[in-house]
Amino acid sequence: MEKILDKKQIDGWIAALTAKSQDGWEVHAPMLEEGIWTYQPASGAVRLDHPNTNQSPKGFAFPQREIFFSFEQIKGEAPRLTQVLPKEQRHAVFGVRPCDGRGVPRMDKVFTDHVEDPYYNARRKNVAYVGLACNKPPSPNCFCLSVGGSPVSTDGLDVQLTDLGDRYFVKAITETGKALMTAGGKLFTDPSAADQKQVKQVHTDAVAHPQRKINDPDGAPAKLRASFNSPLWEEMARACIGCGICTFLCPTCHCFDINDEVQSKAPLKGQRVRTWDNCQFPDFTMHSSGHNPRENTGARLRQRVNHKFQYFHENFGMHQCTGCGRCISGCPVGIDIVAVVNKVTEHAG
Amino acid sequence: MIDIKDIRDTARDMLTKGEARAVIGYRRGSRGMLAEPAFITNLEQADELVWDPTCFHNLSLYLVEDRKFLAHLRKTANAPIAIVAKGCDARSIVVLMQEHYFKREDVYIIGVSCEGTGVVDERKLAPLLNGAHATSAAFDGDDFVFTTAEGEKRLPAREVMADRCLECRNPFPKEHNAVFGEDKTGRQLAEPFAALTRFEAQGNSARWDIWSRHFDRCIRCFACRSVCPMCYCDECVVDSISFPVTAETTAEDKANRIRWIERSAVRSENITYLMTRAMHLAGRCTDCGECERACPVNVPIRLLNNKMEREAREKFGYEPGASIGGSSLVASFLDSDPGDFIR
Repeated sequence: MEKILDKKQIDGWIAALTAKSQDGWEVHAPMLEEGIWTYQPASGAVRLDHPNTNQSPKGFAFPQREIFFSFEQIKGEAPRLTQVLPKEQRHAVFGVRPCDGRGVPRMDKVFTDHVEDPYYNARRKNVAYVGLACNKPPSPNCFCLSVGGSPVSTDGLDVQLTDLGDRYFVKAITETGKALMTAGGKLFTDPSAADQKQVKQVHTDAVAHPQRKINDPDGAPAKLRASFNSPLWEEMARACIGCGICTFLCPTCHCFDINDEVQSKAPLKGQRVRTWDNCQFPDFTMHSSGHNPRENTGARLRQRVNHKFQYFHENFGMHQCTGCGRCISGCPVGIDIVAVVNKVTEHAG
Repeated sequence: MIDIKDIRDTARDMLTKGEARAVIGYRRGSRGMLAEPAFITNLEQADELVWDPTCFHNLSLYLVEDRKFLAHLRKTANAPIAIVAKGCDARSIVVLMQEHYFKREDVYIIGVSCEGTGVVDERKLAPLLNGAHATSAAFDGDDFVFTTAEGEKRLPAREVMADRCLECRNPFPKEHNAVFGEDKTGRQLAEPFAALTRFEAQGNSARWDIWSRHFDRCIRCFACRSVCPMCYCDECVVDSISFPVTAETTAEDKANRIRWIERSAVRSENITYLMTRAMHLAGRCTDCGECERACPVNVPIRLLNNKMEREAREKFGYEPGASIGGSSLVASFLDSDPGDFIR
């Protein structure tokens, strides 16, 4: 399904989606708040003129905090556990950039391929991604073309919007996407031959825009494997401060921690929660013996880079990194995954 | 104006004579105009050193890292580390020495004066470049000069400088071994604590609303703590392992450890984290502003630290990092203290 939507009609489309008589979608769109772009519940005045959001949309299916169950123990009685599954609510996320779209199937692999994570999947089945093609790279650190992506990629998206000036070219990618568009009814019109021609040209130009470049992405898995003991890791991680910006902003980082949050000791009452964790934190790999197998920033940088460009590739046949560039732009001390991969692979010979 | 050649020559000289085992400074990074920390150990690398308005980083953080690394290896250093330090950075080094984190002879301070300006705030710069990306930045008197694909862009530094620099009165590193740039101590580009004063002019409930939104937005990446040279504790209340675990630590000890702050990035925990950190910086924070710059979600962390700094100044006439021999705020008292309980 391919349609044209006048930009002035996007709020109308969103209103149609959120109307209870329809499917009752909750719509989210990028809004500028306190100088950063974040996904906010949207009811109107949506203008998809954001570069990319500060954080990826991964939190819609994998929130930073997820309650698994609540527990309670009354003296003399058996402990009571109550599973807490996410609320059944459909979310349509607007303005998802192609790199973040490509993050979705990668997260799906992790949480559905071997073990089906009930919490992730309960959310995931209720999220639709309405993507926005990048007519030009929104960040100076974009490198989607280096990792098998493209500024016009539709991977992971349900609908793809392309900005044609005063209107969007709207393409359904999945059945969910078709349903979203159908909900908009007459707001959509059929594309003319000129529209078809223009969208083709916009996509061609988008791909031609220069981006940052990973020189040998295909050779990276083997070269990284051969460079595990390279002294370059420590050298390149010399400035790393061990914060969590790179992985918390990443559209595909998915490591988590599980803790019991006790609300009351007597009677014992609380919740078991999952929170994002971070391989760059020094205590991430701390054993209970006190031994830490990744004891310096070099080992931790290697873990992050190898996971993206070697381990994930070995497990799933694709790079985990989607080239959004957030870890590069966000790093307070200039650690740059493009420069790191290039340097290690060049030295691997 | 500072000639970068002077800094490079000093670095080379220190390394040649073996008077420093490394020089920590700034070099051009791989991301547009931004400088990044440089760890120079050989003479050729000294040519990479730069000095421009993107030299934000408070490099004294790496003196702390070095000290921790040496302690881990049970080694002592054979020569000092030389470090490029702005006014605020040099005051951090002084605080660290006041707290006996390392000795004066362990560090060779290559002071750089910010003179009449300071460092750029990328968030202020972005809208003025209309979507263009700068590939270089340079000082030029009271201006900053940026290079973009569309050509050169000259902007008055005051329009794009970080608040911390506008409010800074001591851009000259008083404590130094060598120093470059003019001494403009006492300069006043904005009222001290101007941002804090502006914020506090709002009513209590407005301030609470604003802070609530900020606290809700915090993702607890801990960049503010990680980038801070004063946050050097081996054990921190916010970590999941907030006490040293050894082979002798029992399972019971570990299970019953006190958890001051849950990992969940929710308002109550985020408040506890950010407020605890602010309290621990009272009389120690030298307003390098790195916490606020590093924050990926724009929490104005500096306001919290400034509040403590102003309290210390107004109540006790205390200025962090003023002198190595001076006493620290929380480890000293005055006979003239207004509180009866202390005497």
